[in-house]
Amino acid sequence: MDIYLPIAEVSVNAPLLILLGAAVGFISGLFGIGGGFLMAPVLIFMGIPPSVAVASQASHVVASSTSGVITYTAKKGVDYRMGGIMALGGAVGAIGGVELFRMMRLLGQADLVVALSYLIFLGAIGGLMLKESLEAIIRRKKGLPAPRPQNRRPLWLYGLPWRMKFPRSGLYISAIPPLGLGVFAGVLSAIMGVGGGFILVPAMLYVLRMKASVVVGTSLFQIIITTAITTVLQSGRNQTVDIVLSSLLLFGGVVGAQYGARMSGKFRAEELRAVLGLLVLLVGIQMGLELFVRPAEMFVLAPGVD
Amino acid sequence: MFQDLPPEPPAVVAEAPAQSLQTLTPVTQARVAAALTEATVDIDTGFAGASMVLYGAVFNPTDTPADVVVVVRGPDQPVRLVRKVRVAGLWLNSRPVVFEGAPGFYMTASTRPLSDIASFSVLRRLGVGVDHLRINAPEQETTVTRFGVRDVVINRLGEDYLDWRRAVIRLKEDAALYATDPDGVRFVDQGLFRAEVELPTEAPTGTYEAEVWLFQEGEAISVSRMDLTVDKVGVERAIFDFAHQRSWLYGILAVVLAAFTGWAASAWFRRT
Repeated sequence: MDIYLPIAEVSVNAPLLILLGAAVGFISGLFGIGGGFLMAPVLIFMGIPPSVAVASQASHVVASSTSGVITYTAKKGVDYRMGGIMALGGAVGAIGGVELFRMMRLLGQADLVVALSYLIFLGAIGGLMLKESLEAIIRRKKGLPAPRPQNRRPLWLYGLPWRMKFPRSGLYISAIPPLGLGVFAGVLSAIMGVGGGFILVPAMLYVLRMKASVVVGTSLFQIIITTAITTVLQSGRNQTVDIVLSSLLLFGGVVGAQYGARMSGKFRAEELRAVLGLLVLLVGIQMGLELFVRPAEMFVLAPGVD
Repeated sequence: MFQDLPPEPPAVVAEAPAQSLQTLTPVTQARVAAALTEATVDIDTGFAGASMVLYGAVFNPTDTPADVVVVVRGPDQPVRLVRKVRVAGLWLNSRPVVFEGAPGFYMTASTRPLSDIASFSVLRRLGVGVDHLRINAPEQETTVTRFGVRDVVINRLGEDYLDWRRAVIRLKEDAALYATDPDGVRFVDQGLFRAEVELPTEAPTGTYEAEVWLFQEGEAISVSRMDLTVDKVGVERAIFDFAHQRSWLYGILAVVLAAFTGWAASAWFRRT
């Protein structure tokens, strides 16, 4: 059943989009990520203009993350104070990111920025995650004891001003690192159309060393706020949000996210991280590959005459 | 140079046949009349491209055979084109070049290949055929004084200019927005012909102009023109207008809808 999208101005298969939303929603609930990094490439492949794909899927991320946060709140898995500070940074980052993206689009370099961001960030994070989790799995298989967790957080976390108590995360640190992390995720949210969970989750685990049980819920909470702001900005500034497209995606997405969140308790954490790391790495390589392969068509129509 | 920039056609020439047809043409000359099955195309939720028939009649009292050429042209849409360039082993985009005068949709259908029907210069003067569109990149042109000759127009794209221009047409053809059908006009009966017009889903909205030219011995002797309107209707129209006229409210609504759906799903799942 094909349906015409009023903003994207293309006709797409509706059940296929709902399925895509459900699949990405499932992954989103399972790993506590927005899932945008998976959806944008698929939507673009389906023929939806990249600017519309990136802007419209942001609202899908809002829906599946809301659904996820409610589930995690019931499990006391959201640190609202930490998430709120990150979201504040995320708002600033998103505003700057949308403007930056406009500029790059006018210079015709939006493709390069998107491809490079995917390659660098997804490649690095995916690679690190895969390495770390595989090592953990191998150790467990050999029956070796887990290495002593390095409980020492980087000292600069304590040296900075504006220290705050984050009881849920078991932290008493400066507000500046979470704020900076939020800004960074906000910029990525606008450029890559992602929530930034794949950056936030490892950073919260390995840099801030938050309690593992609150990491996923808090990251989802931050993602809701950042992507909500991105959606409003993209709509107001660029008119690229297709509400029909995002509705189709989010109906599947919320259901998928529920199942994903329930399944997440049934796997070992390091196995989940290994799969996610592999997924992230593959998407990063796939998106970055276009920089190295000789294009079949030397000329490309650049979107956005404005 | 096959793809060279066509000269500005004298406006009078293109208009003349239509005028002479109605007022001055003696009955001894051939004429053409045509109509479309639909004068408007509505884009609604189920829109998946449109196909319509243009039909018409040739009145030819002479013994010379006549050729029919159908041209459908959509509203102009500036095109931004980039070229892939290799920098330090990476394939990057060049600076974008804006081409103007490119229609958002363009098709020709004819009884024979256009080059057999009329000469290059005739087609170019009338602007008939995808190779004769007046597409150019005005921002790349500068006027300089060279070899003592004043006001020479040069193009910054230099030698590659034709590659760029050809690429515009090639990319549009790949998207089914430009089409050339050398036997798209079929005579169904004595003097009665039909041609099919296929609009892809990506066809731009706006007013299209359809022209039916009658050629005899390489000269255009008659033309019939009609308009075609392509527009969004109903829900599609309402959403599009809402998104453009109250874009901030639209964005907030999109977020509220998303958050509500997320909440509703989790509330529903908790109960079951």
